[in-house]
Amino acid sequence: MAIDMSQFYQVFFEESAEHLAAMEALLLELDIDNPDAEALNAIFRAAHSIKGSAGTFGFTDLSETTHILENLLDRIRKHELQLRADMVDAFLQAGDLLKDMLAGHQGQGAVDEALAEAMRERLRRLSSDRPAPESLAAAEPPAVAMAGAVAVAGTRVFDIQFVPTAASAQGDGVRNFVDDLKRLGELAVVGCPEAGGEQVGYWQLRLTTAAGRDAFEEQLDFIADAGAWRIDEDRSGSADGGDAFGLFSDAPGAPADDPAYGFFAPLAAPAATPPAEDDSFGFFEPLPPPAAAGPAPAAEDGDGYGFFAPLPPPAAAPSGSAGEEGEGYGFFAPLPKPTGAPPAGGAPVEAAPVPAPPKTVVDLAPKEAAAKARAPVAAAAAADSSIRVSVEKVDQLINLVGELVITQAMLLQTAVQMQDAAPERLVSGLAQLERNTRDLQESVMSIRMLPISFVFSRFPRVVRDLSGKLGKQVELKTSGETTELDKSLIERITDPLTHLIRNSLDHGIESPENRIAAGKSPVGTITLKAYHQGGNIVIEVGDDGAGLNRQKILAKAREKGLQVSDQMSDSEVFGLIFEAGFSTAEQVTDVSGRGVGMDVVRRNIQAMGGRVEIESMPGIGTRMTVRLPLTLAILDGMSVAVGQQTYILPLSYVVESLQPQAGDIKTLSNLARVIQVRGEFLPVVVLHELFNLQAAVTDYTRGIMVILDADGAKAALFVDALVGQHQVVIKSLEANYRRVPCVSGATIMGDGHVALILDVSALVGRAKNTMQKAA
Amino acid sequence: METTHANAVAAEEDLVASEFLTFTLGTEEYAIDILKVQEIRGYEPPTLIANAPPFIKGVINLRGIIVPVVDLRIKFNLAKVEYTPFTVVIILNVANRVIGMVVDSVSDVLSLTSQQIRPAPDFSASFDTKYILGLASIDQRMLIVIDIAQLMTSRDMELIDDAGA
Repeated sequence: MAIDMSQFYQVFFEESAEHLAAMEALLLELDIDNPDAEALNAIFRAAHSIKGSAGTFGFTDLSETTHILENLLDRIRKHELQLRADMVDAFLQAGDLLKDMLAGHQGQGAVDEALAEAMRERLRRLSSDRPAPESLAAAEPPAVAMAGAVAVAGTRVFDIQFVPTAASAQGDGVRNFVDDLKRLGELAVVGCPEAGGEQVGYWQLRLTTAAGRDAFEEQLDFIADAGAWRIDEDRSGSADGGDAFGLFSDAPGAPADDPAYGFFAPLAAPAATPPAEDDSFGFFEPLPPPAAAGPAPAAEDGDGYGFFAPLPPPAAAPSGSAGEEGEGYGFFAPLPKPTGAPPAGGAPVEAAPVPAPPKTVVDLAPKEAAAKARAPVAAAAAADSSIRVSVEKVDQLINLVGELVITQAMLLQTAVQMQDAAPERLVSGLAQLERNTRDLQESVMSIRMLPISFVFSRFPRVVRDLSGKLGKQVELKTSGETTELDKSLIERITDPLTHLIRNSLDHGIESPENRIAAGKSPVGTITLKAYHQGGNIVIEVGDDGAGLNRQKILAKAREKGLQVSDQMSDSEVFGLIFEAGFSTAEQVTDVSGRGVGMDVVRRNIQAMGGRVEIESMPGIGTRMTVRLPLTLAILDGMSVAVGQQTYILPLSYVVESLQPQAGDIKTLSNLARVIQVRGEFLPVVVLHELFNLQAAVTDYTRGIMVILDADGAKAALFVDALVGQHQVVIKSLEANYRRVPCVSGATIMGDGHVALILDVSALVGRAKNTMQKAA
Repeated sequence: METTHANAVAAEEDLVASEFLTFTLGTEEYAIDILKVQEIRGYEPPTLIANAPPFIKGVINLRGIIVPVVDLRIKFNLAKVEYTPFTVVIILNVANRVIGMVVDSVSDVLSLTSQQIRPAPDFSASFDTKYILGLASIDQRMLIVIDIAQLMTSRDMELIDDAGA
């Protein structure tokens, strides 16, 4: 039967990849404190599906790993375990491992079996080890002493010894690490190098924490060379209770002030200890009140998953009055018995006597649950009614439709030329054909278009992982996720964009200390923006970091033997960073700095017929703008004639057109011309001069001025005549030729001739430059 | 250009009786690998491209794709450049691109073995000899065998962004 199976491999790979992507997205969105039951179910389902099909196809490594993953997820789902941040990390890494395994099965590299085993072991440990001390604490909340003991049980003592690399010692690596350790638990510095020096030297730390070694191991590996560090767990000492408790004793007093409170797994255990003071619940208050435990047990039934609508998250006591009884909230505990309560205002009080109702338990009364169950199922059914079609078939379809549109336009033009000789039925038939072909074209085009969120959705993960690794605080803001672009572009833009983001994170955003020193918020921002502009898709990657250092780039360029001069414009200088082997990073990190990235980025983008630009302001930030042609888009255009040639102006840029009077046009220092339009002076671009064409009209008063508006800047374009308005298919000039200045593409007119589409933003920009030179 | 020449020699050895398309430019006769030729069509005035070099005539619509047209006669500085009903455009398929090439006329298709192609003397031609694979003589005719892919993708032709980089 193996022969029969292999033909489904591709489907399996694609599906598994989709499941993994969905899982990752859900994991990143997951509120650790307060996980959404539906999200947990969805993650579980994804893992379950992969396991199922991997088993069927005999990919044992995949099924084994997912099996363990699934077990752990199942326990979290059933509230037997409290979700912790390190679990999410483990899940994400397990996801990466599964991706590697998938790639391995597809013949792209192999997965290190030891690595896979290590991950499985880690997951096993997470699922079996320490069955949620938090839930123990929650079950008997008033027992402060008891909770303290639990905290001790969950506490481990690590002896950490390391010699940092010179780079991390001089930078902030070590300081960040020590700060992070302090956040994890109680840190005692047993030995450290002479203060005041560069801090290179032997460090010895003793950490008492509830977290596992994975919480800091990776970071340590980052600041010290392999072999130059060691972590020993001191099991004998297992921290005397006084110590551990003392550390947390100040937590109950001002929990709201502690940003880490409740959000970090290591603190989750001690968080159980606070006596039930109103303050302790301060941060639960904004949450929706209902605390009814409805059909929760159904969630434990494997068949039941998938039928719960997204739920209002926590069942926290809304006010101090219920606080005493509600103190167990916030922790998962096995639900002793199903408790139904109406989700009305009085619910918390009624629900409170129930011993520690689980926080994320379904809040719906059974009837409501049943009603809501139907909706998601219907939605799921709608989402499932799609088919997989090979891209080639779609492309073929698009090309054929493009041909059809051109043929239809030719027919129409012939009919128009016949004028009255054309029978009326022919004319009306052609009009109908035009409508139908246009509809057909639009629907066919939309098949290939995907929202750019397909690309953007992977970046939160990239930013999360990297910023943690680099000890930076970074927030990722995205906008324009719904901007649609061609599927092939989506696939090809992912790598260059990832590179740009990594670059911004590594070189752009400064460390929190430097940011504070520069008077900025310690949290850096990376903005990702996508929008349509003319015939282009524009994707901007911006950061509010240090900006590019012009002098440093110039110095580096000279060192590399590149031809540079101080007179070069900023954009030319910044463009140098796209040269091969160019990197001004003082230290090579494993993130970037080897100078192999940016030239590849530019090459990839150019290969797509796009271009990348850099703007930067020292201390303000850097913005990299990627412009990609929208090869498949249709454009509403206005055709204009200059001499024998026809050009297309995208209609969206055209404001108006007018025939100038003799006195309207003035010259500025004999260089630039301006035209006065209702009191406004606009620069004039004379198309036949710009393109060196033989124009039929050179007298301004006999031609036409087309007023263009690109990004707020206006200019007047002088042409011979307006020809008409068309919907044109944008064809790439770059496919067989090269980029032409001031031309964004080409199209085929009704008579079969090629017309060039003008790049209005470039034209307007040129006009502005000439004006500035003249002024 | 040692490597180019080495490639050419290597390619030559593989060319055991390959077929070549011959065409004329003025009085000279050229031969190119027929596998690079997609089709041959009559000349029609192309759409001009602003500020392009003179030998790039413009772009034409070849059944829905935009194809640049170069006039080799202008590129090779031939004295007489005129467009008659016999002027033809050879549509080439090189380096995954489609390029049109204007020539005076197309003569025939010939089989040439690698022995028949002799290395070209090092003369200074209107274009660099690196694009010449060799010379072949058949019935008193002298054919200049050119590596059309190399020529069209070269920086000199200005057909491709960053060509020859």
